[in-house]
Amino acid sequence: MAEPDAVQTFEDGLADIRGAYAEALRAAGDEPELRLINARYVGPQGELTKLLKLMPKLPGDRRRELGQAANALKQEVQAAFDDALQAIHRGAREAELTGPALDVTLPGRWQMPGRLHPITRVRNEVLQIFVSLGFDIADGPEVELYENCFDKLGFPPDHPATDEHDTFFIEGNRSSDAESVLLRTQTSTVQIREMLKREPPLAIVSPGAVYRRDDDATHSPMFFQLEGFLVDEDVTFAELKGVLTLFLRRLFDEHIAVRFRASYFPFVEPGGEVDMSCVFCRAWEGDRARTAECRVCKGTGWMEILGCGMIHPVVFENVGYDPEKYTGFAFGMGLDRIAMLKYGIPNIKLLYENDVRFLSQF
Amino acid sequence: MLVSFRWLQELCPVDADVAEVAHRISLAGLEVEAMEEKGANLSGVVIAEVRAKSPHPKRDKLTIVTVFDGEDEHQVVCGASNVPEPGGRILFARSGAVLPNGMEIGPRKLGGVESNGMICSETELEIGLEAEGIFVVDADNGALPGTGVADALDLHDVILDVGLTPNRPDCLGHVGIAREIGVLFGTGYQPRKAAGPSRTFAAGSSFQPGQPTTKLTSLWDTESEPIAAPKLPEISIEIVDGDRCPRYGAALVSGVKIASSPSWLRYRLHNLGLRALSNVVDATNLILLEWGHPIHGFDLARLSGSKIVVRRAAAGEKMATLDGVERTFTDDDLLICDGEGPVALAGVMGGLDTEIKDDTKDVLIECAYFDPRSIRRTSRRLGLQTDSSHRFERGVDPEAVPRVLASAAALIAELGGGAAATTAVDRIAAAYEPKSIHFRPARAARLLGTPVSKDESLRILELLGCRVVDQSDDVIIVEAPSWRPDLGREVDLIEEVARVRGYEQIPTAVPRVHPSETGTASLLKFVDDLRDAAVTSGLFEAINYGFLSVDDLRKARVSTNAVALANPLSEERAVMRTSLLPGLTEAATRAQRHGATEVRLFELARTFQPAEDALPREDTVLAVALAGQRSSWIGGDQSFDLYDGKGVIEAIVERVFGQTPDLSPGDMPGFLHPKRSALVTLESRPIGFVGEMHPDVGDDLGLIGRVIYAELDVPALHALSQELGPTQARGLPKYPAVARDIAMLVRDEFSAGEIADALREASKGLAESVKLFDLYRGDQIPDGHRSLAFRVTYRDPEGTLTDKRVDKVHASLARLAGDRFEATIR
Repeated sequence: MAEPDAVQTFEDGLADIRGAYAEALRAAGDEPELRLINARYVGPQGELTKLLKLMPKLPGDRRRELGQAANALKQEVQAAFDDALQAIHRGAREAELTGPALDVTLPGRWQMPGRLHPITRVRNEVLQIFVSLGFDIADGPEVELYENCFDKLGFPPDHPATDEHDTFFIEGNRSSDAESVLLRTQTSTVQIREMLKREPPLAIVSPGAVYRRDDDATHSPMFFQLEGFLVDEDVTFAELKGVLTLFLRRLFDEHIAVRFRASYFPFVEPGGEVDMSCVFCRAWEGDRARTAECRVCKGTGWMEILGCGMIHPVVFENVGYDPEKYTGFAFGMGLDRIAMLKYGIPNIKLLYENDVRFLSQF
Repeated sequence: MLVSFRWLQELCPVDADVAEVAHRISLAGLEVEAMEEKGANLSGVVIAEVRAKSPHPKRDKLTIVTVFDGEDEHQVVCGASNVPEPGGRILFARSGAVLPNGMEIGPRKLGGVESNGMICSETELEIGLEAEGIFVVDADNGALPGTGVADALDLHDVILDVGLTPNRPDCLGHVGIAREIGVLFGTGYQPRKAAGPSRTFAAGSSFQPGQPTTKLTSLWDTESEPIAAPKLPEISIEIVDGDRCPRYGAALVSGVKIASSPSWLRYRLHNLGLRALSNVVDATNLILLEWGHPIHGFDLARLSGSKIVVRRAAAGEKMATLDGVERTFTDDDLLICDGEGPVALAGVMGGLDTEIKDDTKDVLIECAYFDPRSIRRTSRRLGLQTDSSHRFERGVDPEAVPRVLASAAALIAELGGGAAATTAVDRIAAAYEPKSIHFRPARAARLLGTPVSKDESLRILELLGCRVVDQSDDVIIVEAPSWRPDLGREVDLIEEVARVRGYEQIPTAVPRVHPSETGTASLLKFVDDLRDAAVTSGLFEAINYGFLSVDDLRKARVSTNAVALANPLSEERAVMRTSLLPGLTEAATRAQRHGATEVRLFELARTFQPAEDALPREDTVLAVALAGQRSSWIGGDQSFDLYDGKGVIEAIVERVFGQTPDLSPGDMPGFLHPKRSALVTLESRPIGFVGEMHPDVGDDLGLIGRVIYAELDVPALHALSQELGPTQARGLPKYPAVARDIAMLVRDEFSAGEIADALREASKGLAESVKLFDLYRGDQIPDGHRSLAFRVTYRDPEGTLTDKRVDKVHASLARLAGDRFEATIR
């Protein structure tokens, strides 16, 4: 049954909500407050919902009209809410854009990667150049047979050519050098191992640790070498010069000069050493005064960088290749030395002390 | 070797300055490592004449000397005891001169007496080693007072330090380098006769009848005055071991007087790094430096039994060598003996008893050719490297014996004021056979990659001293010269042609490389991938020596069954490492001592395990050490713990494999904490371990704090990667996931991992992942318990999940946790 008072109550209710809501909105300072107000008046448990519960008590002829009024109020309130919310957002963004800046000098926040050892970096760089030229990478054991380190490489027995290889021998029963086991003194051992395993053509580079009984300011008893060799029909000394010149220019600077000097290693002939323009005084730039004062090249403008030569026929004979059919070249370099030159490392000992202050520089 | 440029010019004059000569020989293989100009830093030092001398009034040891320097007289106070009488000449540094050692000469007072300038000794001018007393100018030097000392004493020279490779024994003397210069400059080298002795005698009865002799007179450039043969013991030479001593020659010089050498000789020896001793010994050294052929002088009077026998030692035979050390020999050592016993260790060092002494009058000069290998073995066995063994073990010129003897006999006779015998014994046990070598210019061209003509080849080979024995259009057959033992086969001659022409004459070319189909072995690439993964995971690469001490291994509780070095540098580096642990943890500790608060190191290197084979097993291992504090600017620093180790191992493995390894308890190595370590597995395969270092081991190793250590077995990982092949892509899910959390109170004995696994299993395939997101102990948690909270992500690959379905499964998980793990769901 309809109650005439219900109409009045309903209409008053709507007016009250309209008025109170508008006032509350004006007072709201931030989004949560706004949402609280919205909930209080038009939320599921809000004033408007309570009012709508009177609907069944309204007279039938007024119900439609009053229902529409309530709906209109709801839409009105929603629009007001949206406006107010937008205003608050805009205000906040305005404040962020015009307010104080972040302290950009505070530390960054990320898990930093570690670093490769400088020898590894140089090794990778050198390998990359040779791999791009078509060379494969190989390796061999650090503890080796005497014959792979010396005899098969053409070191004559009881010959002073081994003097520069002050060798660590492994304890064990041995009646002569030839039967002994040692720490390899050079990566050239890989030449023998690979040639015994494979047939030409071969193009191989092999980096690795080597050992010599030298321990002073400029020598470390363990250091790193990289050996390279190419065996095929009709490989020439001219090609050896070509490959090494290209390599050094790619590694250091395209403008450096490279020169080949005669030298002796038992497993190559003709054998040579390679000098390049001093990279410390940048000798190729022709500043004579700077070169004259350079302590690294002692004013010569040149620095020794690697050893090389045509693989000796005796090596081919020792691995069962026909030296009349095949020729080849080989070269070797100290990766420590290249790392020291490239990064200006003053002392070889730094490379093996693993001081984090040093390692983190590269 | 130190080389006098002046001497080289005397032997083989070429029209080039020292820089040019040094450059040319360096490029040809005789690397000039340093050059030093002599006589250039002595301005202000002149010859002066002593005019008067008187004792110092106050000081006993000082003398007041008046000298005339060609311009003025100066009063000088001198401390030497050998100031010559007036008329004698000395070396005078004028006031204002700067000596080579940087000392500036100025007027000063000594004991109250004015001294203007300084009278110099050899050492003060760095022209010799004689520090006792001042340098007195030889009477036969005609230099006038005021003459600069470098001119007066003829000190101008440039000393080259030539680095010689072991294949060039011919260049271990000035004659050899002069010959090389003659080749390189195209002038050739004209051997000259030795300056003859002034007085000679016919050896006659000095040599026993039947001894093979050689005439020396034809090798001398001057006529000499014959004197009556002195009465000398009769000498015979016998070679017992002709393999080790193919040739032995001996010359005689009689009537020498031992004295100090003239200043030119002393100066030359000094510049070339040898100490001047006495005229006869200095002469043998000068001959060594000239010819590169060691000779030895015996005091004839001290040789017993009138004979020289060259034989192998009896095992255990003893002799004192010149250096005063008694040596014991093996039957592989070669001795020079007299009638009683050994008098020299052949080719290495003379004997103490027969050396030249102050009273020596007659000298037997030995010049021989010994087998290089034999000399080397002896020298190495005894650890006795001498100028002599250095040359013999590389190979001297066997054919030079008569020339060297002639030269030596003449020089010793001249310096000692004696007479040389005109013949010498020259016993040949095994005649030198020149090697005959075929040389094909076309082969040289093919190897060098540049044309090589026959004419040019002939010219170079002949310059080098090769004798052409036959030739055709494409082959030249030569005999290599006796002073080049390194020339034995065609390629040796190809190198000679390339070297003499200059390597710079060879063009550069780019080869056609035939890349292999296999490429680099996959293990090597895998190792590089691992290394990159370790670096991207935040680790710094360390490189340690492969050797360490047994004690390091013992303290680290790793295998002490190690490959041992027979000749280690020290006990600290006596065995090859069986583990990377000692090296890497030591590096971490050192870093902490240097002030690093956060140490994250890895090493990817080999360990060495003794094996049945001749060679040990070399295993590649990736080791990780974390020490100190994990730094974070929010939340403060915390010590690294097991979970940092686990995290970094996961990061490395995930990067290489695209999947996460598991940790499980197991038999742990003794160096790890028994309760804070785990095995690492991937696809149920063991691949390594990770954990905190056992605190006892940490103490033994001197580690700082609790170091986290992990290892990955690289070959095992590689094998697994080969088996698994490349990661295969999975499709992305089509239907959304629903996440629900479950928190429970559970006793410590149940691991989070096993609970998560059980939950996942119980979800009937709906739980895509179960991840721990909170762990709590503390207030309201009973002892021995912890609160674990997991987030379960549900997804049905076939369709969208309804809340109802998820609720049901989730409730079953909670029941399972309660039943199986006696958990209280919170």
